[in-house]
Amino acid sequence: MNRQEADEQQFERLAEMAGNSDPGFSAAPARLKARIYSTLVKRQQESGPLRSLTETKAAGGRLCVFEHAWTITVIGERAKRLNLCRVCHARLLAQRMEKAPIYWSGCPYVDFQK
Amino acid sequence: MQNRLATEDQRLVAAVQGKDRKATAEFVSRHADAIYRYVYSRLVPCADQVEDLVQLVFLAAWENLGEYRGASSLESWLMGIARHKVEDYYRACLREPEPLEGTEEEPSFGTLRPDFDELLDRELARKKTWQVLARLPEKYRVVLLWRYWDTCSAREMATRTGKTEKAIERLLARARNEFRWMWNHE
Repeated sequence: MNRQEADEQQFERLAEMAGNSDPGFSAAPARLKARIYSTLVKRQQESGPLRSLTETKAAGGRLCVFEHAWTITVIGERAKRLNLCRVCHARLLAQRMEKAPIYWSGCPYVDFQK
Repeated sequence: MQNRLATEDQRLVAAVQGKDRKATAEFVSRHADAIYRYVYSRLVPCADQVEDLVQLVFLAAWENLGEYRGASSLESWLMGIARHKVEDYYRACLREPEPLEGTEEEPSFGTLRPDFDELLDRELARKKTWQVLARLPEKYRVVLLWRYWDTCSAREMATRTGKTEKAIERLLARARNEFRWMWNHE
């Protein structure tokens, strides 16, 4: 076996031993999840309205307190397709802080921090 | 179990395609850690680039969600996209001019000492391997990860980067030597 082949084998075994990922890793940062979610919803909106909050709720989605209030007070289905998170401070905080002071249930930005 | 998972994945994909915001949040929540773990391990220690790349993976997934047929788990499908994105990063990194290209045989720094086979604590060896990788110059780290962790052959790497196979082998030899030197002197 020449030196290069020996090297190759040694490093193949090293990679196998070290595993596929760094053991020091824990989880993706919550603010990254928040940013990804915001970007995806923004992209979804660019190609047409979101699923209405009424439909989302009927499909088992948990609404946050603001979304819930919105579905009760607003009559038009069109308004229920708006992305309320866009004007919510929870989004802004969650995108910038790892442990943002936001607590209400049904808010995806709160869930990302759990 | 497998069938239930596939059905669940397809339900989630359909809901995300239907622009259900809660399903979209679930999609991110459920898969971000695994994708981040993979990308982090391939790009470490470039933390800011890791986040950008993970975001790109999810955007590409959203744009191509219609192509997901449920043949594999959603996570495997996403991981495939992540691998492509990481490869794009590898390619860009290795395509940069290589000032030492063309040098002859590199001096050897011998074997890894202490030999990782002899290390009683494999966990320590694992940690040390990732620590050394993180401290290597980016080009060396990329070429080692691509070759030995993502098991891409030197020939394939050459094709994908537009370099010669010989140039990739020389780069690999230098990267292995640098790795050994750091391993032995840490």
